[in-house]
Amino acid sequence: MNSVQTRLDRIIEEFSDLDGREKLELLLDYANSLAPLSQEYQSRKVSEDRRVPECQTPVFLWAEVTNGMASLIAEVAPEAPTVKGFVAILAAAIDGQPAAAACLLPDNVLEQMGLADVLGILRTRGLRAIVGRVNRGILNEMKPHDHHDHHDQRTM
Amino acid sequence: MADYVHPDVLVSTEWVAEHLSDPSVRIVESNEDRALYTQGHISGAVEIDWQVDLQDQVCRDYISREDFEKLCSLNGISNDTTVVLYGDKNNWWACYAFWVFKLYGHANCRIMNGGRKRWQLDGREWSSDRVKYPHSHYTAPEQDHSIRSLRDDVLKHQKAGKPLVDVRSPEEYSGERLHMPDYPNEGALRGGHIPGAVNVPWVLSVNEDGTFKSRKDLEKLYLRDGNLKRKARTIAYCRIGERSSLTWFVLKYLLGFGNVKNYDGSWMEWGNCVRMPIVQGSAIAGYPVEKSPPVPSASTHA
Repeated sequence: MNSVQTRLDRIIEEFSDLDGREKLELLLDYANSLAPLSQEYQSRKVSEDRRVPECQTPVFLWAEVTNGMASLIAEVAPEAPTVKGFVAILAAAIDGQPAAAACLLPDNVLEQMGLADVLGILRTRGLRAIVGRVNRGILNEMKPHDHHDHHDQRTM
Repeated sequence: MADYVHPDVLVSTEWVAEHLSDPSVRIVESNEDRALYTQGHISGAVEIDWQVDLQDQVCRDYISREDFEKLCSLNGISNDTTVVLYGDKNNWWACYAFWVFKLYGHANCRIMNGGRKRWQLDGREWSSDRVKYPHSHYTAPEQDHSIRSLRDDVLKHQKAGKPLVDVRSPEEYSGERLHMPDYPNEGALRGGHIPGAVNVPWVLSVNEDGTFKSRKDLEKLYLRDGNLKRKARTIAYCRIGERSSLTWFVLKYLLGFGNVKNYDGSWMEWGNCVRMPIVQGSAIAGYPVEKSPPVPSASTHA
């Protein structure tokens, strides 16, 4: 099992025994933990087309790969704390992890956390689109040799 | 607010602030983003979620009469309670919940004008308290279909050439898009609009601060530009009947349309059904695309 999955499992476990209200409170804690954009990304926000079209409230995402390691940098409008919290969870799962594992985020994270029932079908579908976007974003940023890291890790 | 046709359906944030501990009033929040209520709500407000609480989770329909009674009872709402709804996104979901309360015949419903946005702009307080009320007794009648249109009613209405208002974005109306701008494609197989429908995007009904536009502005938008008539039987629709709940509210209460219904099946039903009539193309203000406005007599065309 890769380290991204281990981190995700830990997050899923955090959520699992909570009632609906507590799950949303924990999601808000994650939302509040999302670091504000640095100066560099503030200016890149203006010059690059990084807005996620799947989200009505402005969401800007950078899924990046440096030396084979993934990171997720994002800005989400404060009026969308659910999206903000979910993006923060994805960032916590993949930051500093091998890109080859980070591009394989499962699309049923919300179901596993028990948040799908709290949020309902349509909201869950919208958030799932973000998972796809992060996976694709990392895949696009990966160099040919980055793809081997994950394989090496699994066979170690 | 006073000059709307039925001004009593709207209350101001100030009114709500003065009625926080009024036992005859229940304040209800309904949002697009569910975590907002948890983050902070009006003191004493309960949350009723449009998706998880008001929709049946198996069949595509609203909850049953019995489940609506249970929902009200759990939230301490009695038949004579004044239910004041508010929420995010210009009260879009609050209007949706308002419509469902009316569908089950709740007598006294209001919308807090401006919703969460106006409350925040007014610098009023948010509470994160867990809110719980003693269960109440609630009995609901069967659904009131004088405000709800089902697919076959809409088809008959369309064939009879009666007025329809499509409240989606111009791109969804024309068929360029199968979903709201910036929202995921939620799976309509065909794009376009119901033949004969005029296009008045819902968001034009509200001001920057989330409050409804003035009666004069709304009359210009719907009666003059939209070419709709107060006395004509009118059906509003959008994608899943959410945005059109707000338009329904505006037409029925703020402008006093005598017979207006919401088609909750909306484009997600129409655009997926076999053999439904569909038209594509951009709208001409006040006229469906397939029916041109009359050419002025002093035409300069060659």
